[in-house]
Amino acid sequence: MVPRARAGGKGTRSYALTVRGLIQRPVDGLPNAGARHAAALGAVALVSFAIGIIESRFRIANLSMLYLLAVLATASLYGRGPAITASIAAFLTFDWFFVEPLHTFTVADPQEWFALILFLTTATITGQLAAEQRQRAVESRAREREATLLYESAGLLAEGDLDDGLRSLAGRVRAELALAAVVIEIRDEAGATRIAASVGERDAIAAVAQPGARSVKVLGARGRGSAAWVRVVAPGRAAVRTGYADRVHLVPLGSLDRRLGALVVVRTGRGDLGLAEARLLAVVGAQLTSALERRRLRQLATEREVLQRADQLKTALLSAVSHDLRTPLASIIVSAGSLRQREVEWTVDERDQFARDIEQEARRLSRIVTNLLDLSRIEGGSLRPDRGWYDVGALVDDVVGRLRGAIAGHDVQVQVPEDLPPVLLDYVEIDQVLSNLVENAARHTPPTTAIHIAVELIGDEVRVSVADRGPGIAPAAISDLFVPFYRGPSRRGPAGTGLGLAVARGLVEAHGGRISVANRTNGGAVFTFTLPADPAAVERTPSVLS
Amino acid sequence: MLVVDDDPAILRAVRTNLSRHGFQVETASTGQAAVEHAHQHPDLIVLDLGLPDIDGLDVIRDIREHSNMPIIVLSARDAEQQKVAALDLGADDYLTKPFGIDELLARVRVALRHAARPIGGTAAIFRSGDLAIDLEHRRVHVGDQEIRLTPTEYSLLTVLARNADRVMTDAMLLQQVWGPEYGEEDHYLHVYVARLRRKIEGDQQHPRRLITEPGVGYRLLGDEDDPRY
Repeated sequence: MVPRARAGGKGTRSYALTVRGLIQRPVDGLPNAGARHAAALGAVALVSFAIGIIESRFRIANLSMLYLLAVLATASLYGRGPAITASIAAFLTFDWFFVEPLHTFTVADPQEWFALILFLTTATITGQLAAEQRQRAVESRAREREATLLYESAGLLAEGDLDDGLRSLAGRVRAELALAAVVIEIRDEAGATRIAASVGERDAIAAVAQPGARSVKVLGARGRGSAAWVRVVAPGRAAVRTGYADRVHLVPLGSLDRRLGALVVVRTGRGDLGLAEARLLAVVGAQLTSALERRRLRQLATEREVLQRADQLKTALLSAVSHDLRTPLASIIVSAGSLRQREVEWTVDERDQFARDIEQEARRLSRIVTNLLDLSRIEGGSLRPDRGWYDVGALVDDVVGRLRGAIAGHDVQVQVPEDLPPVLLDYVEIDQVLSNLVENAARHTPPTTAIHIAVELIGDEVRVSVADRGPGIAPAAISDLFVPFYRGPSRRGPAGTGLGLAVARGLVEAHGGRISVANRTNGGAVFTFTLPADPAAVERTPSVLS
Repeated sequence: MLVVDDDPAILRAVRTNLSRHGFQVETASTGQAAVEHAHQHPDLIVLDLGLPDIDGLDVIRDIREHSNMPIIVLSARDAEQQKVAALDLGADDYLTKPFGIDELLARVRVALRHAARPIGGTAAIFRSGDLAIDLEHRRVHVGDQEIRLTPTEYSLLTVLARNADRVMTDAMLLQQVWGPEYGEEDHYLHVYVARLRRKIEGDQQHPRRLITEPGVGYRLLGDEDDPRY
């Protein structure tokens, strides 16, 4: 096997040289058998001439051995048949020209007879051995090409984009086998085929790549042994018309029960596909099959993962919703059940407290449901703020008043400048944003700590901030805080739905504002959102929640 | 008694109710506080398993290291495993959230009654409606009719009777009836419970004595009052 590369370009270059060398060195030498035998006779004639010249000058014993050179050369160049021809020709020629009586095939001396027979035997055996050696060399070269192509195709197909790999591989196969064109077709799950790669002469590609030309018929298996799965396929009518009949070969990709596509090659000449070529195509076909199979499995895995993610989100939603709906429900049921009890005479205060709890928890449920609906509208992209000019200070008072129950115990301070201009906003949505932030602050901080709500006009935007004196937010959690269903790593305080902040972000962004969170220097967290104060800057910004 | 829950509204409502029923109630909203309060040996603990700081199961484990006080756990409907784990760790009973206040009061009464009774010291005759188990003479009657039980059936019935009104998990029953090496063989138990029901219950479809606690175990109701309400 040729080492692929020491380093990048250099390796590739040495590679190309190897391949070109293989193509340029003729594996079979002379193409037809007659010429090979003629060449064998020529070699014998040449040696006879040389012996004649040497004989006329010197007296050398066993000069007939020179013929062995001719036999050896013939065997290693042209194989077994021509080698036998050369052996017999050498035997006869030597007898005719150099053995007494000359110019007859008769042999006077029985010793000469013995020498001649010995020569014939030696020549034949030497020829056989050399021919075998040559056969092995041919085979090992073929194996080397196979291994090389296998190695390289595996490398090409392992690249990130399979279609790029297919194109490179088609180019390599075409160069390796000196083909007119190589086309790789891929069949998708639905059974539709597409041309994934095509290289070569335009006419040749057109002959097999046109839809009409693809009505090919499998004629049957060809070749022996490992080449048996390379099948010769009759080209379609178009191929016949353009003169490519008998030159198109098709390697089916995939297994019998699942066709993944086909490797179609167009040769430059007619005639049978050589065994070595057939094997190479089979090797490439097997590589293509496994690459396509890999891609199919990868796609399936990706689809599965997408489904799994969706499923996980749904599970997260369900568990968040069921937990967070159940908590207020539990206290509503207990409070309502208490009021219903006959055996206890409740005081007015106790009765009031139960009723307050029921009301407060029902409101909490309502906020959770609103958040859920808002989230689905934000994610569905159907959020359309219904804007009007409102006083942000009044909105803050409104929210603080309504959340009295949830923030009871906290020291809530509100700071709104006197000269704040009205802001264009959807009252219900911004109310929801602020409620979520305030409720969040109340839920995640110890009771009696301060919650500071401030509104400022900075440049052309109104900035609303909700600051608390709680534990603050872990730096690692800050980036995920606005993701739906995210719950902070701190387990302090009751867990929320993980919806409030996600909804707040979606609503603020729909108003063309921003929302962010930071830790305060003396402890606690501050959530800030902005709203454009300048009406010209009010543009609907699509939210990017998912 | 001690009530532990992380939701202040629930805590308040439960405390108000229990106090008006004559109990002296302490509350805690974290597992840490619960463990500390438990060292003062309250008569009973109502414990929510979903606490913000430590796992409710760890609280049970900690309490059981030094005390046998009754523990009633509160948990979510979808957390059967958690309930079983809590009961196997030694909790006495459980309530699924959301629960009614009557239900809680009934469970509290049963748990306190059991705590007052010495372990294994059940009266010689256990009664549940028309079912009577004479533990001394190993005889079981339904009405006037004497019922023939196999030894295993009898053993299962007496284990349930000794723990009347309490939930027994599958694992507890298997270990007490079949032996300590059992615990996974739920099907044995289900088969025997079905046989036992055929013999002691009037209406198979609506058992009134031997109650299934779905996903958790079984409960044999005693005569005194129904802990479900």
